[in-house]
Amino acid sequence: MMEELKLGVFELTDCGGCALNILFLYEKLFDLLEFYEITEFHMATSLSEGNHYDVALVTGTVSTQRDLNLLKEARNHSEYLIALGTCATHGSVQGSVELPIREKLKAVYGDGGNPMRALDSKPVVEYVAVDFALPGCPYDKEEVYQVLMDIAKGIEPVRKDYPVCLECKLNEYECVLVKRGLPCLGPITYGGCKAVCVRSGLGCIGCRGPLPGEVNPASEYEILKSLGYDDEYIIRKFKTFARWEP
Amino acid sequence: MIIEMREFTRVEGNGKAEIVIEDGEVKDVRLQIIEGPRFFELLTLGRHYYDVPDLEARICAICYLSHSVASVIGIERAFGVEVPEEITLLRELGLIGEFLESHSLHLYLLVAPDVFGYPDAIRMATKHGELVKEGLALKAFGNRLRVMVGGREIHGINVKPGGFGRYPTVEELEEIERESEVLLRLARRAVRLFAQLDPYGAKAKHFVATDGYLWGKKLISDEPGEFHYTERIEERSLVYSFAKQSRYKGEAFFVGALPRLLLKSEMLTPTARRLFEEHREKLETGYVSYNNLAQAIELVYSLERANEIAKTLLDRGIEGENVPVEPREGEGIGYVEAPRGLLIHHYRIDNSGNIAYSNIITPTALNHAMIEASLLKEARELYGEVDEGRMIGRLEETVRAFDPCISCSVHLVKL
Repeated sequence: MMEELKLGVFELTDCGGCALNILFLYEKLFDLLEFYEITEFHMATSLSEGNHYDVALVTGTVSTQRDLNLLKEARNHSEYLIALGTCATHGSVQGSVELPIREKLKAVYGDGGNPMRALDSKPVVEYVAVDFALPGCPYDKEEVYQVLMDIAKGIEPVRKDYPVCLECKLNEYECVLVKRGLPCLGPITYGGCKAVCVRSGLGCIGCRGPLPGEVNPASEYEILKSLGYDDEYIIRKFKTFARWEP
Repeated sequence: MIIEMREFTRVEGNGKAEIVIEDGEVKDVRLQIIEGPRFFELLTLGRHYYDVPDLEARICAICYLSHSVASVIGIERAFGVEVPEEITLLRELGLIGEFLESHSLHLYLLVAPDVFGYPDAIRMATKHGELVKEGLALKAFGNRLRVMVGGREIHGINVKPGGFGRYPTVEELEEIERESEVLLRLARRAVRLFAQLDPYGAKAKHFVATDGYLWGKKLISDEPGEFHYTERIEERSLVYSFAKQSRYKGEAFFVGALPRLLLKSEMLTPTARRLFEEHREKLETGYVSYNNLAQAIELVYSLERANEIAKTLLDRGIEGENVPVEPREGEGIGYVEAPRGLLIHHYRIDNSGNIAYSNIITPTALNHAMIEASLLKEARELYGEVDEGRMIGRLEETVRAFDPCISCSVHLVKL
């Protein structure tokens, strides 16, 4: 029998969702365990016995020195590191508060400040090289399953190359942007979520970040302006998950 | 001398504790929340109200719907918006889904390994596979409710001020009605399992909860009178933790499943009520570890209540009408019972609908002092009596009894 691959899950500062989503794989998690042995995953196990990982999944933003140390440890001891979720790939919502860390801490803890050291929340990709980046707030759990299965079989996982709109069309959801004038970032957002927000009849909030390549944020900007949304509102919407400059 | 506990495992988020030893005795315990600060209130300031519940959901993955609903209720109260029964019943159904998802995750996957002596549920499954499967079945059902009401398992955006993006279908509600009845048997078994455990941790002196079972207009406690949080609860910064600590009239207090049962048992569904009465004596001792038994009883409550709500909605039919929301200057507080306890979202909104003030207090921040008190009591009892490894193991279990959610606890701000 093939030797099991060592898998580590490392949580930096985040909501816990990207780690939790792995547990939400249910029976598919047990399928993964045919190929992997989990040696680090503090949300799920008290065992912590790894010093080498074939695959490391890192979730969250770097927001403290502890986060940075843990990230470096994960990088230095892993063959294949995946930045998992929009916090890790783009900084997500908690990285979007645009104030210097000193002012943010003052606003929270008062003039006396907090002697604990905090850093400005930044994505994992700004600190270390990653082998794969899988965005989503949270990412679609089928995607992480596929990526881990690909790696186990020696196949390089494939990045998707289409916007949310494509999955919307495939599911025959009504276009909320054109038909209802709702602010929807679907045309310029990296697909793979199965257009889950549009399924609810609501606009895409751009939680997977911008689709690289041939997208046209300027045109999206003009459409939203023509629907009556003001500049500040649109810019904030663009920047919320992925510091996206229109 | 300081004994440093390693980072807690089988909890959500990053935290640890230090035990301070002086002259051979346990002097103090410090609960350190080392998860980085997340600045959620700053994030929402100046934002249009409509987008705020979706952002607040990101505070926590395990209880994102509690945050969405607390946010939506706070916003609706600021605008003076009342929603009809259909919408409140559906919100309740979503929150029940969250109770099922969160409690079963906690009890079966995080606590049960302690009961049977395993490092995690995956390794426990070799001998106790049935139990793990039962837990996963309850959790999956809870998640189905969250998808139906909230839009997806984690961070859905379907819950909106004034209603929903999408309303459930008759088929979905029929499935809820059917499944909730089938699963009840599993939840009753969980009550039997967690009723057998010995008590540990401190006895809570004060309990706080909302005046309704899942949300309310005011707060109640073990003392007479209803109140707003600002009247009796105070927060303060600590030098050793990113989470602030709250006190009820200056004292440590407890929020969560056990306080809910003790303060609101008359609101329980029939079987849950009967199970509460059966174990009342134990629960009333107030030991924090009985929070796990209380959670198991709440699994029964959640399934019975989901069944009732699905029946009611099927009888009356779904209209699927949202209430129009017109922004106006105002202030509102959303009190919701998240699975692990009271959650507070407090907003002031300006007349163009933008957030001018925002304060959020989460269950784990409210319980912070109570967790420390429990660790202190256990450490004093065990230090010198058992070896350090066993003491630390028991202290970790004590923290786990609270079902702490550390990620949520680190973003408190008053402006």
